[in-house]
Amino acid sequence: MGKLLRQMKFQLFLLPILLIYTLFSIYPLLKSVLLSFTNFDGYVKTYDFVGLNNYMKIFTDDALVSGISFTLLFAFASTILITVLAIPLAIMLDQNFWSKNVHRAIFFFPSIPSGLLLAYIWGFILAPISSGVLNGVLEALFGMGPQPWTSDPVLAKASTIVITAWAATGWHAVLYLAFLQSISKDYYEAAAIDGATRWQQIRLITLPLLAPAMTISVMLLLTGGLKVFEIPFALTRGGPGFETHTITQVIVLRGISETQYGLASAMSVVFFLIVLAIAIFQVKFMQKREERIQ
Amino acid sequence: MTNENRKNWLLDILMLPIGVITFFPFYLIIVNTFKSMQETALSPMALPKKWVFTNYTTVFKETELLRSFSNSLTITVISVLLMVIIGAMAAYPIVFNPNRTNKFVTVYLLAGFMIPFQTTLIPLFQLMTDLHFIDRLYGLVILYMGGAVFVFFLMMGYMRTIPKELPEAAIIDGCGVGGIFWRIIFPLLKPITVTSIIYQTMWIWNDFLAPMLFLNSKSNSTLVLLVYSAKGEFSVNWPLFMTLTVITLIPIFIFFIVMQKQIVKGIVGGAVKG
Repeated sequence: MGKLLRQMKFQLFLLPILLIYTLFSIYPLLKSVLLSFTNFDGYVKTYDFVGLNNYMKIFTDDALVSGISFTLLFAFASTILITVLAIPLAIMLDQNFWSKNVHRAIFFFPSIPSGLLLAYIWGFILAPISSGVLNGVLEALFGMGPQPWTSDPVLAKASTIVITAWAATGWHAVLYLAFLQSISKDYYEAAAIDGATRWQQIRLITLPLLAPAMTISVMLLLTGGLKVFEIPFALTRGGPGFETHTITQVIVLRGISETQYGLASAMSVVFFLIVLAIAIFQVKFMQKREERIQ
Repeated sequence: MTNENRKNWLLDILMLPIGVITFFPFYLIIVNTFKSMQETALSPMALPKKWVFTNYTTVFKETELLRSFSNSLTITVISVLLMVIIGAMAAYPIVFNPNRTNKFVTVYLLAGFMIPFQTTLIPLFQLMTDLHFIDRLYGLVILYMGGAVFVFFLMMGYMRTIPKELPEAAIIDGCGVGGIFWRIIFPLLKPITVTSIIYQTMWIWNDFLAPMLFLNSKSNSTLVLLVYSAKGEFSVNWPLFMTLTVITLIPIFIFFIVMQKQIVKGIVGGAVKG
């Protein structure tokens, strides 16, 4: 009897998290799946099952198609760009120089504030008219005319990706730096004795030993990139047209603003599957890579 | 790597331009808070010819800055505290009372990592409406409690490093299941609690999507939401808008300066466990 009571007392500690988690994560997830097969519009309480109709509609809806393609582009491009910048930055910051700590702080700080604020700051720099800071600089230096940084489809997409890289590279460099600092100096000394050049040391010692860090960093970047919302929303409002709409913005638009619950739910289920597939594939692929190069 | 004690000043020179470019956007917004609209339009990059301080007084007069600050603070502090307690509580039976049910519960909770907030958005919106949680600070706080799963995950990893003999000795001393947790285990969790607090504080303080969807009156606005609505209102007055942005950056900057070491530790600790 005493044992049973003890068990119950233990299990009570799980009660709050199970309640909250079930109510605010699992239940909405299941309901999203359910709604995605219906024509529920939020006004009439009754709804009919419409099979895969909503899923078919995704591919004919401009906003949804744009949302998926831009989000995928953003996730992969920002992941690649940030990884390519963060690793050399981490190697640099691992060296001994006077302004090292100042530089660490400068690169790291942009990852702390809200993306919304950062994108607004960049909105000022990239303002399309000639009074925009960047356009002013380009005009003064090269006599270039004003560029539509946030209103041209290609430039707008590139701008969101570059700003994200500016904001997140320092954070990921710090992650790589932690792994760099755990690499034993003996490896480098032994390599130097064998006559390996600095570049060979980086290529043959540093980069392979960074593989586990890369698995983590790339996973965080990809999953975070797929969930992107604030920076494109604040910089371009998703425009021009639907060009820089993210999946999140489209779900809010079709679901909350237009109350097309069925369609938006189908979209959110597709999004869930995309995130799941990419995450599983990425971890499997990167772990194989780790095994191969180590 | 090779020359350990020599400081390489060539790297200082090499890094300088990269650092300047990275910092430049912050210089730009700070410097323009001290200018008039005309001067910002004419020479956005230069230091102010005539230093203007009225933007700061105007921002306090025209926006509910203090109100929003206190809303952000209330939401963040209460959410983070509750999340830490709920997360730590959940880890306790999982680690110190392992059985088949709890194995299943662990898998059930960890599945939550794979569920993007966006996928639950539509039903959540209906749920929040049905519960009359829309435009209520406590409604948002309860919604954020879902983040306790991440804290639970961190706590579970850390709790496993606590020797099992410790609670067993306490049982002999007559400590109950609850007493062991609150008096012995919870105080030992301090390092991972700091990491959890940092992660969750940065998330909630900076969050935009949930406040945008679930808070709609001005008096309930968070700081980030205030900046968002001000962007529309001050659309032509860049210096005023930038002043608001700079002021909202101050608390997060102080947080950064004070906590930088812990943030870095937290990234590494959290990432290695993740």
